[in-house]
Amino acid sequence: MTAHTLSSSKCRTLLGRLGLAALLVGGLHTAAHAQDAARALGMLQSLMNGGAAKPAPAAPSTPNSAAGLASALLGGTLAPGAAPQASRNADLFQLLSQSMDQIDEPREIQIGQQLAAMLLGSKPLLRDMALQRYINQLGRWISLQSPRPNLPWTFAILDDPGFNAFAAPGGYVFVTKGLMDRVSDEGELAGILAHEITHVTAKHHLIALNKAARAGLLTQAISAQFKNDLGGMVSGQLLALGRNIYTKGLDQDDELDADRTGVALAARAGFDPYGLVAVLQQLRTAAPDDALFALSLSTHPPAQLRLNQLELAMGNRLDAYSGQAAVTVAQRIDKLAAAERAATAQAVAPVTGTRPVQGAVKKKN
Amino acid sequence: MILSKFKQRIGLGVAIGLGSLLMASGSALAQTEVVVIKRPAELRDAPGDAARALTALPVQTPVTRLGDRQGPWIKVRTADGAQGWIHMFDVTSASALPGAGTGNAGTSALRSISSFFNKGSTHAQGGTVATSTLGIRGLGAENLASAQPNVAAVAQADALRQDAAQARQFASASALASRSVEPLPVPAAPNTSNTGAAAPLTPDR
Repeated sequence: MTAHTLSSSKCRTLLGRLGLAALLVGGLHTAAHAQDAARALGMLQSLMNGGAAKPAPAAPSTPNSAAGLASALLGGTLAPGAAPQASRNADLFQLLSQSMDQIDEPREIQIGQQLAAMLLGSKPLLRDMALQRYINQLGRWISLQSPRPNLPWTFAILDDPGFNAFAAPGGYVFVTKGLMDRVSDEGELAGILAHEITHVTAKHHLIALNKAARAGLLTQAISAQFKNDLGGMVSGQLLALGRNIYTKGLDQDDELDADRTGVALAARAGFDPYGLVAVLQQLRTAAPDDALFALSLSTHPPAQLRLNQLELAMGNRLDAYSGQAAVTVAQRIDKLAAAERAATAQAVAPVTGTRPVQGAVKKKN
Repeated sequence: MILSKFKQRIGLGVAIGLGSLLMASGSALAQTEVVVIKRPAELRDAPGDAARALTALPVQTPVTRLGDRQGPWIKVRTADGAQGWIHMFDVTSASALPGAGTGNAGTSALRSISSFFNKGSTHAQGGTVATSTLGIRGLGAENLASAQPNVAAVAQADALRQDAAQARQFASASALASRSVEPLPVPAAPNTSNTGAAAPLTPDR
């Protein structure tokens, strides 16, 4: 196995370079062409493997992988030094197919970046710097109370009218603009972010990807090896896995864990533990065929089930942590802007002896 | 509350053409929802167990949510017009109590259909792919399926990061302080064949 892996990985690197060169010369941009190229490379690889392994499939099996391939190729042509990047990405997928303990934090982050690229490819970043900054401040503060405070936590709002939130390994958390518009207050938003942060800290997506990759490896060993290496910034295979996971959703146990752990995490960060409960009560009333909620409803356990489980876990244990006055997102952003103006004013005003300190901008609530 | 938010938004001229559609969507989330009492409770004149009890609310009493919430306490109105506060965990959706219709059977059935594309067809006439009367839809499986990885956008998102010091400054400016909170116990796994029922619950409250 080891010897085979070694030689095939050399072979894959070579193939990657060959493939990239061929495509640059040929200027192939369509999925159909990419499929031809893949078929040719598959044949080439089976030749180079000396027929020791199973015969390579003639072509990527689904239109999706052809499209992924094409996009990987296009990405590759934009990036200088794409070939080393490509082999690193191919290694990522191989890694995912092996054992969880082989995936260290830097690799977890790399995998997350690729999935983030996929999510950001489906919807663009919302062009509202104040809101993007705010979600990062809020999310980063909550993540500081999590078991993994030192990940490169990155929060972003997708320009999408639907109601949804996503996490990706390594510290990526996305929420939609539709969600931002619909949360009643910051406590609800904090509850949602804490739920997503828990998916990251507990590695729910990473483990799910690992399971899927290992299951798929048995039947797709060869195609997985060559499909990855065609010189893209994003591994086509990882992309296919990612699409699958984000469309199907995680296991129910992972979602219930993220609810339960997220509630405690939000409370730890100073927020109302009932923020997430309030969101779930709203989701319960959303029609399952409402297109704005369709994906979040289809990828999560029913809201009533989640509420029942949270009630069992919470009882009235956290009631003492609730009762803070509700602040809407708009109010918070106004307050932060006012505090910033005050701090700026203070910084330019003559101060006697001391520099303005953080506490000086603290506002009464 | 949600409704008024939507009105506001429409007033701001966001998606004017879709205004009435957004209203329709908003009403799906509106908190004037009718819920039912799932264990004997008291209607209280203020949030909190210590507040004065106004009237007893037996199981199955329908009440209307009015939108206000303070922590776990939500404001409701009873059928005879009394207004007061009850704990969120003392109510459930009108369809979730045993004997009150099919419960969440609909949603649990949906859950078992893994494909997003098939999901809507249980409701749609003629078994077509899920379509929306709203004409707008959120990020869906079809967006993910056709997504081309956007590496440049990841770099832009990375540039938005705030560091730990900035996050602490935010917390301080927002009067947020960290607190020590014990992890919650893990309850028994839910009985998925009976998701809507409140019967197996043995809560502290």
